[in-house]
Amino acid sequence: MPRTDRDIPPRPLAQRLGAILWPSFFAAGVATMVFFTIVDPLMLRDMTFPELEMSRMAGYTIGFFLFWSATAASSLFTWLLLRPANRFNGGIGE
Amino acid sequence: MSNGANTEAIPLYVKQPKVYPREVKGRFARLRVIAAWVLLGLYYVLPWISINGQQLVLFDLVNRQFHIFGITLWPQDLIILSLLLAMAALTLFFFTALAGRLWCGYACPQTVWTEVFLWMERVTEGRRNKRIKLDQGPWNREKIARKSAKQFLWITFALWTGFTFVGFFVPIRELGMRLIEFNLGGWETFWLFFYSFATYGNAGYLREQVCKYMCPYARFQSAMFDDNSLVISYDEARGEPRGPRKKSDDRHELGLGDCIDCMGCVQVCPTGIDIRDGLQIECIACAACIDVCDDVMDRMGYPRGLIRYTTENALNDKPTRILRPRIFIYIAALLALATLIGLVLTGRDPLLVDVLRDRTALHRVTDQTLENPFTLKLSNRTDRELAVRIAAEGLPGLRVIEPTAPVSISPSQVANQPLTIGLPIERAKAGMHDIMIITTDAAGEVLNETETRFFIPARALE
Repeated sequence: MPRTDRDIPPRPLAQRLGAILWPSFFAAGVATMVFFTIVDPLMLRDMTFPELEMSRMAGYTIGFFLFWSATAASSLFTWLLLRPANRFNGGIGE
Repeated sequence: MSNGANTEAIPLYVKQPKVYPREVKGRFARLRVIAAWVLLGLYYVLPWISINGQQLVLFDLVNRQFHIFGITLWPQDLIILSLLLAMAALTLFFFTALAGRLWCGYACPQTVWTEVFLWMERVTEGRRNKRIKLDQGPWNREKIARKSAKQFLWITFALWTGFTFVGFFVPIRELGMRLIEFNLGGWETFWLFFYSFATYGNAGYLREQVCKYMCPYARFQSAMFDDNSLVISYDEARGEPRGPRKKSDDRHELGLGDCIDCMGCVQVCPTGIDIRDGLQIECIACAACIDVCDDVMDRMGYPRGLIRYTTENALNDKPTRILRPRIFIYIAALLALATLIGLVLTGRDPLLVDVLRDRTALHRVTDQTLENPFTLKLSNRTDRELAVRIAAEGLPGLRVIEPTAPVSISPSQVANQPLTIGLPIERAKAGMHDIMIITTDAAGEVLNETETRFFIPARALE
């Protein structure tokens, strides 16, 4: 019977962070670009929180980080699902 | 942490050994330095170039306009930007199929900035062996001085890089003035530090790990490869069996190949691999191993090229074909895209006209004339001042009542212009009528034709 408890060692933290943060950063960048090409942040503000004092630059930045938090959450989820079972079963560290 | 008695010991953590790339001289090193100067020169100098007061490359997010080499792109021109990005991607595929990972070794920002940071490390901490000793040694006065000097260079350069980055989105001269006065906007400050930190971290610390663990291109570039693509390869047939020897020894007598196992190729490798193990995903094709090996071959009196640019076919004694279907397909697609971009660019109206109907009063009757008020949003997409004359056509007797004089609009500006179109009441027939707003410049050249509707209510005619 093939061994099932063998596994590759956990990756360093920098690698794990990179694999989650970087692709989501990239996707968020593309989404921000497409979204704000069509939508002017000032018009969006007028439709939602018209009393808010806000510049376009702030709109773009907030939009980018909203996108990034969504894509990073998705990347994090994928990482959790792809982790081998023994990482949860108290096998090896991490 | 225990997991039963008969589990083998598994390392808890794969420690990433720090890579200390050795400096290298040679043909390809020179090419890399030239590429770095050109690319970084473009990055740091371009935002400072202005023509007629207009920054040559400016992604003006605040005003929602992109200025690229005299062309102004508006949000409506998204298609052009998408086509340009598609063309960039295809160009990358084309060069990958033709010449392998040229991008990684010579042009990728990660490689280029890493090289600059490595150079600063070399200036302050010394050559490879010295750097290794310094890291292992105790924190004495020399180590503190050298490390501080390196950090000073790194941080200064990173901050300058971050400032330049923001300068692509906000006019850089004004940005510089505000920086000197400590009067930067909040978001400008934020992005300046964000990009500086990204540069510092990526080029100073992450380095080859970005290529190995974070780069998507490294993972899918093999799809563009075939046996005719240029790769950097070790000539195993010629090199093996490897082994040390004196220059005076006859290698054939000793039964040795050309590789003297000096480990030069391993020491210069920025990603820390051994090219002699074959083509690997970690290889960024920087050709540092070629340079160092050629140098060793020269000194041993052996022919150059034990490690060289070659193709899978050439290594297997088969002919290499440069012109092959894959290449033609990429060329055809690139030409088609370029043509399309040209057509879209030249087909753009110099003036963008949005006709907004006045919502409070759709029509009014004055002095035997039935009038429809509108607001025109006129966007001057050229880089010259336009004197716009507005005319209306589509119904007999239709004329523009206001404005009668030409409307002047500065380059890249948007003007909100009230427009009143009138029709003598005796010629009016009730209904919605399609009409055309025609704008012309001072020379009578048509700038734009936009359709809208002229509203005549039945009760106005009673």
